[in-house]
Parts: sequence; structure tokens; C-alpha cells
Amino acid sequence: MKTNSQWSRRDFLKTASAATLSALAAGYPRVVFANEPAAEKLKATADTVIVLWMGGGMAHTETFDPKRYTPFEPGIASEKVLSTFPSIDTAVDTIKFSKGLEKLARVMDRGALIRTYTAGDLGFILHSRHQYHWHTGYAPPQTVAAPHLGAVIARTLGPLNPAVPAFINVGQRFDVGEGEELKAFTTAGFLGSEYGPFNIPFPDEAAGTVQPPGGMTPGRFEDRNKFYKKLLAASPVGEHGSDYQKESLIRSLDNAHRLLSSPAAKAFDLSLEPLETIRKYVPSYQPGRRFDAAQDRFGAKYEEQMVGRFGLGCLLARRLAEVGARYIEVTTEYIPFFNWDTHENGHTRLAAMKVQIDSPIAQLVLDLEERGLLNRTLIVLASEFSRDLMMEGKPDNLVKNQVEVPDVIQELKHYGMHRHFTDAGCVLLFGGGLKKGYLHGVTADERPCKTLKDRVIIEDLHASIFHALGISPKLAYEIEKRPFYVTRDGEGKPIPALFG
Amino acid sequence: MKPTLTRLITAFVSVVALLTRAGITPEQVKNLPPPASHPVNFTKEIKPIFEASCIKCHGRGRDNGDFQIDSRETLLKGGGSGPAIIVGKSAESYLIELVMGFDPDNVMPQKGTKLTREQIGLLRAWIDQGAQWDAGVTFAKVEPINLKARRPEFPPGRNQNAHPIDRFVDAYFAAHKIKLPKAVDDRAFARRVYLDVIGLLPPPEELEKFVADKSKDKRAQLVQRLLADNENYAIHWMTFWNDMLRNDYRGTGYIDGGRKQITQWLYAALEKNQPYDQFVAELIDPKPESEGFTKGIVWRGVVNASQTPQMQAAQHISQVFMGVNLKCASCHDSFINDWTLADAYGLAGIYSDGPLEMVLCDKPTGKNAPLRFIYPQLGEIDPQADKPARLKKLAQLVTQRQDGRLTRTFVNRLWQEFFGRGLVEPVDEMENPAWNVDLLDWLAEDFADHGYDAKHTIEVMLTSRAYQLPAVAATEQTEKSFVFQGPVVRRMSAEQFRDAVTAVTGIGYATPAADLPLEGGKTGAKPARGTVVSPKWIWNDADAANKAKAGTVYLRKEFTLTELPTEAAVVLRCDNTFQLQVNGQRVGEGDVHTRSYVFDIRPRLKKGQNFIAVKAVNRLPGDVDPKEGEAVPGTENPAGFIFVARLRAGTNVMDFGSDSSWTWSHESADWNKPQVSAEKWKNAAVLGDVTISPWNVRANFTQQALAKTGYGEVRAALVAADSLQTALGRPNREQVVTVRASAATTLQTLELTNGEELARILGRGAEKILAEQNGASSSDLAKELYHKALGRNPTSGELSTAREILGQPAKKAGMEDLMWALAMLPEFQLIY
Repeated sequence: MKTNSQWSRRDFLKTASAATLSALAAGYPRVVFANEPAAEKLKATADTVIVLWMGGGMAHTETFDPKRYTPFEPGIASEKVLSTFPSIDTAVDTIKFSKGLEKLARVMDRGALIRTYTAGDLGFILHSRHQYHWHTGYAPPQTVAAPHLGAVIARTLGPLNPAVPAFINVGQRFDVGEGEELKAFTTAGFLGSEYGPFNIPFPDEAAGTVQPPGGMTPGRFEDRNKFYKKLLAASPVGEHGSDYQKESLIRSLDNAHRLLSSPAAKAFDLSLEPLETIRKYVPSYQPGRRFDAAQDRFGAKYEEQMVGRFGLGCLLARRLAEVGARYIEVTTEYIPFFNWDTHENGHTRLAAMKVQIDSPIAQLVLDLEERGLLNRTLIVLASEFSRDLMMEGKPDNLVKNQVEVPDVIQELKHYGMHRHFTDAGCVLLFGGGLKKGYLHGVTADERPCKTLKDRVIIEDLHASIFHALGISPKLAYEIEKRPFYVTRDGEGKPIPALFG
Repeated sequence: MKPTLTRLITAFVSVVALLTRAGITPEQVKNLPPPASHPVNFTKEIKPIFEASCIKCHGRGRDNGDFQIDSRETLLKGGGSGPAIIVGKSAESYLIELVMGFDPDNVMPQKGTKLTREQIGLLRAWIDQGAQWDAGVTFAKVEPINLKARRPEFPPGRNQNAHPIDRFVDAYFAAHKIKLPKAVDDRAFARRVYLDVIGLLPPPEELEKFVADKSKDKRAQLVQRLLADNENYAIHWMTFWNDMLRNDYRGTGYIDGGRKQITQWLYAALEKNQPYDQFVAELIDPKPESEGFTKGIVWRGVVNASQTPQMQAAQHISQVFMGVNLKCASCHDSFINDWTLADAYGLAGIYSDGPLEMVLCDKPTGKNAPLRFIYPQLGEIDPQADKPARLKKLAQLVTQRQDGRLTRTFVNRLWQEFFGRGLVEPVDEMENPAWNVDLLDWLAEDFADHGYDAKHTIEVMLTSRAYQLPAVAATEQTEKSFVFQGPVVRRMSAEQFRDAVTAVTGIGYATPAADLPLEGGKTGAKPARGTVVSPKWIWNDADAANKAKAGTVYLRKEFTLTELPTEAAVVLRCDNTFQLQVNGQRVGEGDVHTRSYVFDIRPRLKKGQNFIAVKAVNRLPGDVDPKEGEAVPGTENPAGFIFVARLRAGTNVMDFGSDSSWTWSHESADWNKPQVSAEKWKNAAVLGDVTISPWNVRANFTQQALAKTGYGEVRAALVAADSLQTALGRPNREQVVTVRASAATTLQTLELTNGEELARILGRGAEKILAEQNGASSSDLAKELYHKALGRNPTSGELSTAREILGQPAKKAGMEDLMWALAMLPEFQLIY
């Protein structure tokens, strides 16, 4: 695949030595293999991971695991409604999708579908806690700051291209409802900030994150650095000789400068894509369209304004994968009661959410395939849990009412999956050496549409992702003299059936 | 995080299995490795095997299977299955049977790797040769160190009049054959103490005065003067304590009452330098204002048993005050230290309202741990007492004069702050020995003797010659080989860096995150400057707050500027919608009447005459816009407009707000033109003050709105973390943080290199300085920046580079770039 065409080994060594230097000196955690034979040698089938995050709880029966369709008409009984969309065929005979995912259906033969992802049993089913659990493999709170999946991968494998941050997080703002809770897991935690997320809340503004600060010409940027070097050389502190604080500062500044002036930085600039390509990701895209950062992002206009933002995030992910990003997460964005968090009007809003995701994800798969990158890039579409119209939680495990669900539906706004459900959920995977056209797990055809066979839990899903990357699920990092395993207690097991 | 459950269960099952031993069959004897043929040395050959493979479960107070290897006697006595060894007969010794693993369900050691054949051969030889045990070797539970208060003797020597710390350090240096280096110069010293005591760079005038001062004790005087700056001292140490006590202005838990700030209490305690024993007592046995610490962070839903609020309290009291890690022991008996599950639950239970069942690795045990403090040596807690009495007793145990751990832990943390490395390392493992036991003990005693006065101990440390030694390069220091040679080079904290940038640029934060009684310290930063006007709600009709006709009202305000402001932010609210123009150019609009809108109007302003024009619309019911210029009868609803402009140029304040000097009209023709036909414009009607109904806006709504965009002089420790502070390592305070990682990382320097926050600060700072120093030469500007940032004159080489960057005359971009370059220098970011 990526045969080091755009970055040199020398660059990599420079970066690696800086990271190693700071890692040693700052007491960054080291690897431990408690009671395990040292580093199991695993053969990686993927170099890059793209997680497509359906934040807010994506209903399985409305997307990739459709059940009996009951069309809306006033007076229908709630308990009869399992799916509010009809099923459609996919490229794989045995797999049906829910209507509205036609383009994804056509590329299903490139992917593997898990229908039996079961979110952790954390008592109340709550978005931020389950997102924390999904992303770290541990339930909050923890006595040490648990690292995000992306940070673990960044720490373990390092950047694929040293000029591209190893963990890039696209599409999530943190000044929103539950933003503090999101921050609690969108972090490298105890692994140290070197491995933390490079956040790009607005993909259309991504170029700005790797360009000189606003308004600064490249010439001035270079001059500023040149002058800095002169002042640095003149500073009497040079006489103090070398110490790791100084070395890490100077090297990190060099790294930052290299990144900001690297050709790879162009990958962040979506304006370099032809309109035609952008429209394959976001059919409704208008040139010059901005997700105007200064405007009202809340209230009723939010979803309307954000149409296409996720699609551009997928396009950005493709461009980043092309230049050697290691871990990219693109989210539809979690904000309480928006996007997939449908506590009302579920049917109508899911129709819109499907429009948001169908084209860009299918196109991402096709583009990576066309470029010969799909085999080494693992795409993982997931959500913190699923939803149901009637059930809250696991069967027989009702939690206090979050929404009113009438026994008989009179209004369209009550037609949809409005309650949290953990006993089944879909994870869609493409590429990365996984089996193609494969369906994993069976769920019930009647409510509760729960897992019947081949249950998948987060430890095993993570272990499978790690496995594809050549990382042992028993890998542990030491913190406060204790091993912290990358899957809980080192017990995650890759799902063998996913691999060819 | 923890060993697997299965492993633990195996451990318990095998304890039972120990009770039934099979004995070695003759067949198995043949498989035994032969005994080593040489005379075995216990200390060199046997002791290491015991330490590596046996002691964790059978020594140091643990007695799994009722078996302890404390001494030869307990080894011979054996456990539940009889004697472990038979002296002289290794082939019949149970110990050998177990380590051979003949019974696959009962192999020793249970954890870790099996013994090698060579090791077993050594054990056999040792048993056969009489199982000699060298005198003095014991694996019994050791009395915890650094626990009881102890007053050491000063080392003998000629320096009896020297600073107490130096009397210890001199002896230490002599023992390590280290030649005493010369103390750092005045500038380096001043920079250190300013940053260490109040977290700020020395202001240039104060620094020059200090350098010029000829008095002999000027360094001590400076330390005392800084310590007396209660406000800045308190602000600086808020960072230290917020990290340690997990107090923050936002974070997880607050969303639904699962967390409580202790900001007001903490600030007050630091500001008045509350004695540390009282401070700790109020955290352990809290008042409502200080209960946030032991209340912990509670997430909704089911929380792991090791993270219940009581367990959090037990872990954090132990870690923060006693330097003890109970985290492992919160799930199971620790593998890395001697703490047990019962220790953790014994302490947590003190905070529990009812009995607290022990949970072993997520499995309830059905047992409650007896309530006790982790160090029974310090005293007991009556389990029958009610919770308030227990908490009172616990606070008393921890803060009693005999508790030398509390004081050692604290003075060690201070030492780590000032010297970059603790006397004991890591600072949260106070059961490790100090590199200078007497010095640690003396500091702890001196601290207690002086009424637990933190400022006293800080003064003692900072006036020592040890503190004034040149900084030594920090390298990776392995614990055993460490030799103290002076303070190590440190890096500024995120807060120190941000405040230092404020000192250089003049651009700090606008509003503190908490309501604190700030008055302006004796040194450095001043409190927030509020906006000095009291705006009024206005409309075209005095009754508009009750009801006003739907329709459009145009509002205008003309004003004169004698100079261009460097800061020009406006905040407004309008019921219902508005469009704002300044000097005929559109600035922005809004349609949410419950929201404060903030705009930066600097680019639209000019010297001389300016005007603000607003098209304000009172909508029809149902949020429908009325037609242009039309007032529809019968659709009355409240309408109002309130506006504040915060205009500043250096010290020149030109703020104004909405009041009756504004004019209104229905005239759409000239509302946004420089000139209006005066007869069609009337003075606006005042509806009332900021807080009137139906809007009920808070009196400080302007400050709140400006906090996001505006700049003031509030220090970094008092605001919620922004992207800059987060990148520079300010933790999110979900966990207790006692030492921050300080090495620079690429993500961090990216934020410094192209982050919006720093770029904005530099931009605003450049404008401000250029506006204030109108006409100053590039040389003067460069020199001033060097003094502010680095506390010294630039060399001629530096000056010429700096002038080149600035341009002649100095340009805004040049100012930005020079300030950026200075702030990136190790000389700026590091504390030498």
C-alpha cells in the first residue's frame, strides 16, 4: 500500500527520537506484558483505522438490521412497530438494509456486518457513559485517566506518516451539552498528550488546523520560524547545555513546524477537491457552502445547518488515509437530542440521518478501493447503543421513562425508535483484511429484537480492531506500577469469523 | 487494570487445596532436579528466590494458606498443610513438591513464572544443608517508614550557623564529594521565586529595583514580600490544589449534581493561609463548602464498586494527604504494595452511611471490613460511633501532631514543586525512603512546630542556599542512582505560561469562572476590570416591557472617539430580532431573544464621529415577522433592547450603554445613513434596569457574555481551561493529579504554533502595545519586550534580530511574531 512515497525514513526517525526522548524523560508509561510471553507477534492486516461514529444511539432495526415494517397510520399499536422503513436488498443476498441506505447496500459485498453488538451493562443507559465505555473499553469513572482507542493505537503504532497526527478526531465540538463528559474520554489519558486527539470539529475548516495561524502568509510563517531560530541561538540558555525539557520543546516545535509546512498538510484542505467529487460525498453540496462557525449552531436550525458536515468529514478521512493517517474518527456529532439521539420524530429524523451517511460512507469505501487502500484501511461504523420504540434497556430491565410512548400512535412524531436499547446493535466494517460480504450474529425478529447468537461485546470488538492492526489484546501499559490492558483485563478476544 | 478474575479465583481455590497434600511419590523423586553441589549462600542465592516468588503472598504480613515466610521459624512451622520444609530432607519437603508443580491444581508460585530447575536445585541444596537463615533477614511486615513524627539531629560540622536546610545539604554534599556550586544571580533567583510563590514573572520595574538593592538579606526580603501578596499567592496555589483535590469550574458530574465545587472555600483557605492541619481537617470532616472533595465525582448509572463515592474518598485521602496508593487495594489485595482490600474498605466504610460490603474484583464477598484508618498505629476509630463522630475522629487522627506522614507528604510535595524532584519519589509513594531522611524529617517537624504554616515552610525552602543553586539538567533519573545536586530545570505550568503571556501582551482573561473576592494583589496582575456602565432596556414606548406593538423600530446612537480603541466589543439582547450596523456597515444579526450576542466592532470604528444603528423587530405572535414599517394592532407583546459597548484604548475607557440618549424612529429610509432627518427621530423610552421582567437578565450579563471573547487581566488559574491551557498540560481533573507531565509534545507545540487562542492574544496584544506606545522606536519596543518576557536586556545581536522582526517603524505583524518567538524560547518557558 502506502509505500513511503511522501515521507522519508529520515523524517520518521527524527520524529521517533523526539517522541522517545520525551517519553523516557517524562516517565510516560512503558509497555508491560504481565504474565504473558513478550509481545505476541501478530501480522497486521491493516495500517489505518477509520471509525465512523453514529453518536446518539443508532437504532439497529431502522438501519442495518431491518425487521417487519409497519407503515405509519394514525391509530397503529406501538408494540407492532419494529421498523418504520421497508427493507431493501444489498449486494449480499443474505443481508437486507433499511430503506434509505441504498448506496451502502451496493457496497455491502466489500464489508462485514455485526448485528449483535451488545453495549455494556452500566445500569442506566446513558449516552456519555456508553460512549466513554465504547471508546476506552472501560466504564467511567476510573482511578486513572483511561485512554481513547485512538490514543492507544497512536501510542502503540505511532504515526504512519510522521507529518500527520496519529489520532485525528473529526466533527465533534466540546462546548455542547455533555461536552465535559465527552472530553473525559476524548483524551490520551495517562498515555500522555503526545498521543491525544488532533481535533477538527469542522471538516470544512480542517485546512486551517494545519496552516499558519489565520492571516499569516507562508512567507511570514517561514520568516517567523527563521527569526525564532536566530533568537534561540542567541539566547544564553544555550550555555546551560542540554536537558530534556529544552530538547523536547525545541524538537516538538520543529515537529509542529514540519507538519504545518509539509505537503501532507494539503490533505486537510477540502477546497482542493473538485466539486464533482465533493458532490459524490455530499450530493446537496453548494460551492462556498460554509458551516458558518459564528452562527447559531443550536436550536431548530442545527440539523439543517449541519447537513453535509459528516459527508465532508468522510471525504477528509479519505484524504487523510491517503497520506498516511493512523487513526481517524469521524462523527455525526453527539449533542443531546440531536442527530441519532431521537427521542421524538424518530422516523422522520432517521430518514434525514440516512441521507447524511449513505452517500459519503459508500463513496469512502469505493474511493479507498479504487486507490488500492481499502485492504489496509479498516473502516468501523458504530454507535454507543441501539434504540427501540418500546423497550428501555435490556428486556425486563426497564428504566424510568425518558419519553412518553403511547400505546397507540396517533401522531407521526411518536413513530420511531425513541428509547435506549443495549441488547443488540449494528457495527459495519469494511476493508482492513476482514472477510467480505460476511454477516455476523443473529437477532430476534420479534420484540425485543435482541441478540440470539454470536454476541459481540466491546472487549472483543476492540480486540478485533487491534488484531487487524497487529496489536495483542493483552498489551498493557504501566501506570502507577499497575498494568492497564488495552482490552479490559487483557481479556478481549478477536472475533475469528471476521478474519478470512 | 487488575488481574483477571479467573486468576484470583484460582488463587483462592488453591488455598483450600493446600490443606490436602499428596506427598511426593518415588516416581516423582526421580524427576527432581539434583541439589546444587556447592555450599549455598542464603542471602545471595535463596533470599532472592523467596523475594521474587513467595513473599508477595506469604510475607510482609500476608499469610495466604495460613502460611508465612517471615522467618526460619514460620517457614519450618509451615501452614495449614503442615511444615513447609523438613531440614535435611529436601525430597520430602512440601515446598519442593509445590514448586515442582506435581499437582497441576496446586503449583507455587501461583502468580508469575515457575521456578527454574536450577532454582529448585538451589532450594534443595539449601534445605539439605540445614536451611541456614542469615541473621537479620526477615520477610515480616515492616513497620511503615515516614510515619511517626521524628526530630533529627543536625549533622555535626562547622556550619552551625548556616540555614537549617543547608546544614543537612552540606553534609550530604560532603558525603557525596560534591563541590558546592555558586548560587544563581539575582535575576535568575527573582524569576524563580516570583514563579514559585505567586506564579508570575517579575515585573521589570520590580526586578530592576531588586537587582539594584544592596541590602544583604534582599533575597529573604523578596521571598517574604511575595508571600505577603495573599491574593496572587492564593491564585497561584489554586492550580496546585485544584489538581490535587479535583476541583474545577466545569467537568463531568456537574451536569446532574454529581459533583460539587470547593472553589470559594479553597480560595479563602489559601488567601488567609489557613494552617494545614485545619485545612486537611476541613476536607476530611467537611463543612458544606468543602465537602466537594470527599463527595467525589458521581456519574449516573452503576459505578464499579471500587469507584463508589466512599472508595473515592478513601483513595484520595490516602493519596493526597498520606502519600499512599489504595487504588489497587480497592479491588483486591494489592500486588504492588502491602495494602489489602480490607484496608481500603476499612477506610471507605468510615464515609458510608450503612455497612459497606467488600467487593472483590466485582464479586461481592458478603463481608464487611472492620472500620479503621489505614495506619492503626496512629489510633483507632470506634466502629459504633455515628458517621459525624467517625469523620471527626478520622480528621483528628490524620492531623494529630504525632502523624508525621501528613507533614512529610506535604513538605515533600513542596520540595518537589521548587526543586523539580521530591525528597521522596514518586511523591505519592511516601513509603519509599527519602534521599535525605533527616532533611525530610526536619522539614516536617519544623512545619508542624510552626503551626502547620505552609508559608513558613515555603520561606524556609526558598531562602536556603540549596534552592539557589544553579539548575541542573533534568535527565531520566532512575530512583537508585539519584544524587541531589540542585533544583532541576522545570517547565512552566500551563497557568504560569498563560499568565506570563499576559504579562508580555497585556491580554489576560476577562472574567473569573467563580465569584471570588479579588481586589488586586500587591504584585502583578490586577482583578478583572468590569464594564463601567449601567445599560437600560429601551424601546419606543415606556410600557414596552409589558406590551408593545409588533413591528420594526430603528434605534441609533452617535458617539465620538478621540482615539481608536484596541478593544471594542459590544453585547446586546433584543426581543425579538435585530440587525446591527456600525457606521453603515452590517455587523451581525440575531433572532433569539434569550441570548446575549457579542460582536467585535473594532474593524468598523474610526476616529471621530461614529454611529450605531439597529433595526429591531418585535415579532408577531408565533415568531412571524411583521411587514416592513408596519405596526399591526392587536398583536402586542413585550419588546426591548439592551446594549453595552466596551471600548478601551490602553487605560482610556470609552464604554457606553443603551439609555435615553439613543434615538428611535419608524423611518426605514435613513436609519443606517450617517445623517438623519432629526424631526423623525425621538429619544428612546427607558423601560428599566438590566434585571427587569420579563427578561430577568443577570446584572453581570455583560461580563458573562464578554468572557468568551473579551480580554481582561484575570489569571489563568481562575478560569475554565481553554484549548491553550489544555494543550499545555492542564489536566481535566477527573483524577487526582499531583505531578503534571512537563515535557513538550508535538500536539502542544502545534497549538502554540498555529492555535487560534495564542494567535488572538498576540494579535490583540500587538495592537494594544502599539496603541499605547504610539511612536516608540523598534529598539525601545524590543527592549521592553525582552524585559517583560525574559527579565533582561537583549544583547546587541538579539536586538538587531528583534528590530528586523518588528520592522521600522514597528508593525503589528512584527510585534506578534517577536512576542511569539520570545514565548517559544526555552529561556521563557523553562525555569532555570
